[in-house]
Amino acid sequence: MGMLDYVRGFKVTFERLFDERVTTEYPKEKRPKPERFHGRHVLNRHEDGMEKCIGCELCAGVCPAKCIYVRGSDNPVEDPVSPGERFGFVYEINYLRCIHCDMCVEACPTQAITESKLFEFSFTNRSDAIYTKSELVVDDEGKPRKQPWELWHEGDDLNTSGWMRATSSAGRVEYEGVVGWSGELGHGVRSPEVGQSATASSEEGA
Amino acid sequence: MGFLDDGLEGLQHNVFTAPIEELVKWARRRSLMPATFGLACCAIEMMATGAAHYDMARYGMETFRASPRQADLMIVAGRVSQKMAPVLRTVYDQMMEPKWVISMGVCASSGGMFNNYAIVQGVDQVVPVDVYAPGCPPGPETLLHAILTLHEKIRTGELTQRREENGGGAAIHIEEQPTPVIITSGSSK
Amino acid sequence: MSNETASEGVMVTINGMEISVQPGDLVIDAAERAGAHIPRFCYHPRMSSVGVCRQCLVDIDTGRGPGLQPSCMVPVSEGMVVDTESEGVKRVQEGILELLLINHPLDCPVCDKGGECPLQDQTLTFGPVESRFIEEKRHYEKPIAISDLVYLDRERCVLCDRCTRFAREVAGDPLIHFMQRGNQTQVLTFPDDPFNSYFSGNTVQICPVGALTAKPYRFRARPWDLSEVESTCTTCSVGCRINVQSSRGELLRYQGVDIDSVNHGWLCDKGRFGFEAVNSDERLGTPFVRSDSNPDELVGTDWNTALEAAASALKAASGSSVGVIGGARLSNENAYAWSKFARTVLSTDNVDAQLGDGLCAEMVMSLPRATIDDAATADHVLLLAPDLKEELPVLYLRLRGASQGSTKLIELAPAPTGLTRYTSAAHGYRPGEMGQALDELLGGATGDAMRSGRTVVVIGRPSLADSPGEVEAAVGVAQRLLPEATFLPALRRGNVLGALDMGLAPGVLPGRIANDGSSQAWIDTHWGSIPTERGMDTIAMLEAAASGRLHTLLLIGADPLADVPDRDLVERAFAGVAKIVAVDTFATASVKRADVVLPTTAFAESGGTTTNLEGRISTLGRMVTGPGTVRDDWTIAAELAWRLDADLGLESLPGIWAEIEAVAPSHARCSPSMLSADSEGVLVPLPVVAVPEPDEIADDDADTSEADTSEAEVDEEQAEGAAAVVEAPSVPASVSWSAPALVDPPAVDGYALRLVARRRLYDAAVHTSQASSLAALADDSTLRVHPAELGSLGVESGSRINVTTARATIVLQVTADESVPRGVASMGFNQPGISAAELIDHREPVTEIRIETR
Repeated sequence: MGMLDYVRGFKVTFERLFDERVTTEYPKEKRPKPERFHGRHVLNRHEDGMEKCIGCELCAGVCPAKCIYVRGSDNPVEDPVSPGERFGFVYEINYLRCIHCDMCVEACPTQAITESKLFEFSFTNRSDAIYTKSELVVDDEGKPRKQPWELWHEGDDLNTSGWMRATSSAGRVEYEGVVGWSGELGHGVRSPEVGQSATASSEEGA
Repeated sequence: MGFLDDGLEGLQHNVFTAPIEELVKWARRRSLMPATFGLACCAIEMMATGAAHYDMARYGMETFRASPRQADLMIVAGRVSQKMAPVLRTVYDQMMEPKWVISMGVCASSGGMFNNYAIVQGVDQVVPVDVYAPGCPPGPETLLHAILTLHEKIRTGELTQRREENGGGAAIHIEEQPTPVIITSGSSK
Repeated sequence: MSNETASEGVMVTINGMEISVQPGDLVIDAAERAGAHIPRFCYHPRMSSVGVCRQCLVDIDTGRGPGLQPSCMVPVSEGMVVDTESEGVKRVQEGILELLLINHPLDCPVCDKGGECPLQDQTLTFGPVESRFIEEKRHYEKPIAISDLVYLDRERCVLCDRCTRFAREVAGDPLIHFMQRGNQTQVLTFPDDPFNSYFSGNTVQICPVGALTAKPYRFRARPWDLSEVESTCTTCSVGCRINVQSSRGELLRYQGVDIDSVNHGWLCDKGRFGFEAVNSDERLGTPFVRSDSNPDELVGTDWNTALEAAASALKAASGSSVGVIGGARLSNENAYAWSKFARTVLSTDNVDAQLGDGLCAEMVMSLPRATIDDAATADHVLLLAPDLKEELPVLYLRLRGASQGSTKLIELAPAPTGLTRYTSAAHGYRPGEMGQALDELLGGATGDAMRSGRTVVVIGRPSLADSPGEVEAAVGVAQRLLPEATFLPALRRGNVLGALDMGLAPGVLPGRIANDGSSQAWIDTHWGSIPTERGMDTIAMLEAAASGRLHTLLLIGADPLADVPDRDLVERAFAGVAKIVAVDTFATASVKRADVVLPTTAFAESGGTTTNLEGRISTLGRMVTGPGTVRDDWTIAAELAWRLDADLGLESLPGIWAEIEAVAPSHARCSPSMLSADSEGVLVPLPVVAVPEPDEIADDDADTSEADTSEAEVDEEQAEGAAAVVEAPSVPASVSWSAPALVDPPAVDGYALRLVARRRLYDAAVHTSQASSLAALADDSTLRVHPAELGSLGVESGSRINVTTARATIVLQVTADESVPRGVASMGFNQPGISAAELIDHREPVTEIRIETR
């Protein structure tokens, strides 16, 4: 191996020396995440402030990791928590079990549970990892509640219900692309994403 | 008792030793050496964390050490089977003090979706875990967050971060129960 | 398919498959057996077909071409061709479902039925994908409480007529009905009449949608997170088969299991919602001992201390100065453990599972036993029993159902019962004169009719205010005048017959054999030597205690203060004994008097077997863990034995059952595999096997193959014994009983009324009072008297009066009730706040009360 081989080797290094850096200076900056990133959940509320969750336990039933614990109860008549007879009075998600598969979001009949893009959190204590209803329910502006151990970057709390159905629950092809999205606190009725609605995609996709 | 016997822990805490403690903590957290313990898919993300885009070396974690003797941080990345648990413990025991453990991903933390007899339901049954990183798998950013949390933990020496201030959490309290008594006044013999 | 072998079967073709079915079977059942499930809402195999939902329409061709007919209304006929999958059938199924869903609110996520809903399931399987009806749905107020236990949601109702038919046909409480007409048709109760049926919970179970939901289960769980185990209800001794369902370690629901021989899928509300008592916060979860410093307190302690205290209390008493009361609420295994503990460790025969409110154990065991099916298919059923609707509700359902057929019910009761409406003849008698009245009744034409057919006599205590001797004499009369009759003992507590079979009665050993020396050799080989002197029953034990002859009382799940029909005797007995050790699940009045309290497991917290009033043994399922540190009774018995320097030799529930199989002759050959093979359970004693075993053929004694009586069983066992190398003792004969002679009835006191004290379904006992939904239903605290009697006494109905007997004076509300015969006053036995036990003197043949205005 001659001297020239070393030079040849360093050639690669020197060529790249003045290239743009690829390293992200996390945590100061963050690489952009896809629109439908599966982060931690939020429990949404209706436009009038009532909780969307009706305590039906479908999310808990469908959860493959059994990380959701829900208990339903009779809605108090004079001060209802959610519309209808029943509301979820206990709602806990164990983030040391959750695999962010979004099955709960698909199962939810009221779009109460959606996944946000928040994922930068870690725990020093097992019980920290169990998010309770008071932590999951959105605040009065319809934004998720920041927990002390969570790291949020600019804009992370937007589009917390960004995941949307591409097909109807019955699976009929006629519904594909039509978004059935109820209004929610702080956001009203969200407009469909690009490519979601048949009409929207024809307008914006052109 | 003293510096010669117990090392740094043997030092009395006073105005002179305090800066030394700060220095030691700084040195420890800026030179964590992870042992490779990639067990499953989480290991891919762990490798990604070491690669150029995220570059763990920024925090002085230059390389994953193949020998536990050269490591002081174990990142358990993946589901730990019952057969793997003693191996994991052996590697942990072989690491030099002081040492820390990050449980990466839900499988390592709680068994995750593998709620079955083959998988250890939480690696903290085998080794003491300092930081849990949620996710399936956690992305490099979540792992970095966990590492930063560990840095913070080393810096402050704080053991828990439980949020009494916001009243959240599963509220698991084990209280001393008073001895139950049945009052039978008027009916005793 | 077993039916294929039937030669008289009808050949029908279902979906191209030719099968043979029983004539008279409905097409819907035949198709089910052929593997073709036809969707249905209104059809229920235990009720008459009405064909109102039209969901089961199928193509039926009887030679005139195929046509749509409701398969639940059409019996099979020869050559019938049925198509359940034709294009027309599919269209009509879709159409009917679309129609039913026009007004169905589709609130499945919040509906308790969601996940186990026939409408949901059948819509997914047979229904249209999309409804064409976009109009606003019908709205009703929802949910409305139609009783204390059931909610009605009319929006969800599909008008299938199941609940209304059940109330009308099965329960006989037609309190829920269709109202209005046409599009306005709805199910509803009458305005001032809530759906207060003892069987209302069944409508919730059979409702094919979520229109009827049960309050105790409302929003408590979803079907998919329930785990279940099959078990047998031990609320009363009928032994209904149930599915015990729980989630997260908490009992949440019991569902009836349809078995032919007992409950047909029905349950009473007390049984169905009794799980609330098991879940009660008041359950004892830790042992208690009486505080040294404060005698008014029982202080929680650990098991070691409590068992030591219990053992020292038992050690201080010698064989005859210790009494064991209770055990009728336990499983067979636990009852056996206590029976063995009393005989071998305590060396006493003072054991009794009944609390002076039952019948003579020897009588119950020696009478030829009828089954519930025997009673429901007999020509005549003679009721010498308490109010079956109140005490054994599902037996009431079966007998009520039988009375709608060809079975004639003949009742002899001191006051009308729930079955009186359905009897072909209801005779009254003045309390104390039961034997004479029966003698007169059976001596006449009624007796002739009963002698000519198959007759079942249901025996029990028609009134707890009368002495049990009266019933025994009457049974003697029935036995003499109806020699062919069989008897069904209507004893109430869950496993009382099982406890008696396990020897929890004085003079009786496990397997219905007498402890009178004749069985000594047999029991010695299994248990070692035990006292053969006949012990005392509960009343005798309490009397001995009152006179200071008993040192220690061991109460096994017994509350004598509430249940013995003589409160004063129990008070004196409790004052007279030195120590009381109680093993129980709740701090009942009697438990509060104990010196040591050992908490034990309740229903669904332990396995084992139970025996119903027919002698049918069925398995109990374990579903949840008991509170605190509760233990099974048999482990407590074994621990106590250990501390008394003995070894019971019991190590597990299956081990105990194996020992019972060996020790109890009536339970011989009843193996665990037989018990677990069938929900129906096993009737003991098993019939004798007709074919002798090969090693017996050579034996000279093996000549018993034709005989089928219990004596034959004895001989056969003897033969086995002779063939064995080691000579085993012969199996002792079953207990015998001879009826006491009729005694002259007590003289009538013209100024007094005779008390009839009967238990109600809901009473002050823990099973009701600790179940939050049921507790409020126990409210029968009035004395019922005929208005003419009240008139002659100058007492107004509804006023509070003094009721006086020689024992006590209590204040009661009096109600005029024309159904109560003259000369009689009727009241509930153990109701909240009052108990007839205070008035009753067990030595008197009848209880005469005087009523005075206050």
